[in-house]
Amino acid sequence: MTSDKALTYAYFPGCSLHASAGEYDLSTRELFKALEIGLTEVPDWFCCGATPAHNVDELLSLSLCAKNLELAEAVEGDLAVACASCFSRLKFTQHTLGENATKRQQVEKAIDAPVKLEGNVKHLLEILARDLGLERLAASVQKPLSGLKVACYYGCLLTRPTDVPNLDCVEAPTIMEQVIESVGAETVAWTHRLECCGANFTLSRPGVVIQLTNAILDAAKAAGADCIMVGCPLCHGNLDIRQKEIEGVFGANYNLPVFYLTQLVGLAVGLDSARLGLEAMIVNPLPLLKSKGFL
Amino acid sequence: MDGPVKKKKMVISQETMDVDFVRKVEMLSDTSVRRCFQCGKCSAGCPMATFMEHPPNRVVRLLQLGQWQRILAGRSIWYCASCETCSTRCPNKVHLASIMDALRKLSWDAEGASKESYVQLANKLFLQNIRSYGRQYEMRLAAVFNVKSGQFLKDLMLGPKLFAKGKLKMFHSKNKNMAEIEKIFGRIEEMRKNGEAL
Repeated sequence: MTSDKALTYAYFPGCSLHASAGEYDLSTRELFKALEIGLTEVPDWFCCGATPAHNVDELLSLSLCAKNLELAEAVEGDLAVACASCFSRLKFTQHTLGENATKRQQVEKAIDAPVKLEGNVKHLLEILARDLGLERLAASVQKPLSGLKVACYYGCLLTRPTDVPNLDCVEAPTIMEQVIESVGAETVAWTHRLECCGANFTLSRPGVVIQLTNAILDAAKAAGADCIMVGCPLCHGNLDIRQKEIEGVFGANYNLPVFYLTQLVGLAVGLDSARLGLEAMIVNPLPLLKSKGFL
Repeated sequence: MDGPVKKKKMVISQETMDVDFVRKVEMLSDTSVRRCFQCGKCSAGCPMATFMEHPPNRVVRLLQLGQWQRILAGRSIWYCASCETCSTRCPNKVHLASIMDALRKLSWDAEGASKESYVQLANKLFLQNIRSYGRQYEMRLAAVFNVKSGQFLKDLMLGPKLFAKGKLKMFHSKNKNMAEIEKIFGRIEEMRKNGEAL
């Protein structure tokens, strides 16, 4: 992408961003506006099916995503995806239908249209780190996040499996660290960047979720992080919404605010904190941000 | 299936090896179970292995031996988190996460062979929501799940907090193009009826 050409994208927020992750949606729109990146929501997009659909009905999952890719064609630009799960499913669909002619035929019959696999599907991280570029991102910083120690949490679906999302290395990615370091923050080296939080069981088996999520919070705290940064509303739900409950069950005291990447980057580029949805976070981030002098 | 199959002594013979079932798994998952040489990396990295009676590598071994009834009778496939660690680390490109998808699909077709009901209920409600509304509405999903699973008080303490933070929406609108989603569901059902898709 040439630097003088205006960046513009079709936007796929996904179901969570219209409900429990409203602050991710808000901060994404505000950040992109501030960076002068165009963002137009795909009209009447459908649920991508997420994990439950491919868990029991892959054909349905592929068809829903193929339909969404078709809807996205109507909007100019590559498809910008905020949710790691939507991102994963859309990339899986492109990958699977590109490799398997039988499945492609079945999906075309299901959606009654040829499938479109040419469009680029990009997670917000890619847009910031590569399309806009780290240098331009760094040049937009008004308020460097100096002294903030961030644990970057990738979870499962941003990077895995090999050859599908192709966002970064599957076992040792650095894209989140690069983005947040370019706006002045420090990152911590820690053990659970890529471990699973158990989002698939949020509804059905919360007992499993709190065990997996506790291990992640514990590792971030042990590494000396002030906060955790995520790019997935499902990880966020577990780490933030369930943190208090987990502290009670395991007798721990984490008090780790869990930010969306767009909230932290937004803060650094000088967005008014009222436009970042900080008040929607369950673990209150204000004491931390005030103590670091960012507010 | 008669009796608790997983407690029975395993007998491997022409009769117990159901190769047709394994072929369906391979077709759906687009991967070959015969490539697995039981190194165990999948189970070593699996965050859910401790919750499973058959860890991932054993699921593949049972498939190699055509013993699928043992897999479906247990809860292992429903305790897979779809984190894709196994598929990522397999040295032989066995797509275990996709095999798990195929097994769950075939378990549904076999109608409730597994005892794990909560995960299946959550999946069913999620898919019904897509068909009825086009998108997920978390509050509806959680409320209906609690009623249908008989756990009226589950996560009740989270409710008011999420509500106050604007994370739960009381009202929602339907997509304008709902007819299209219904057509997709309908066409897939039709294809399956005609034997054009598994």
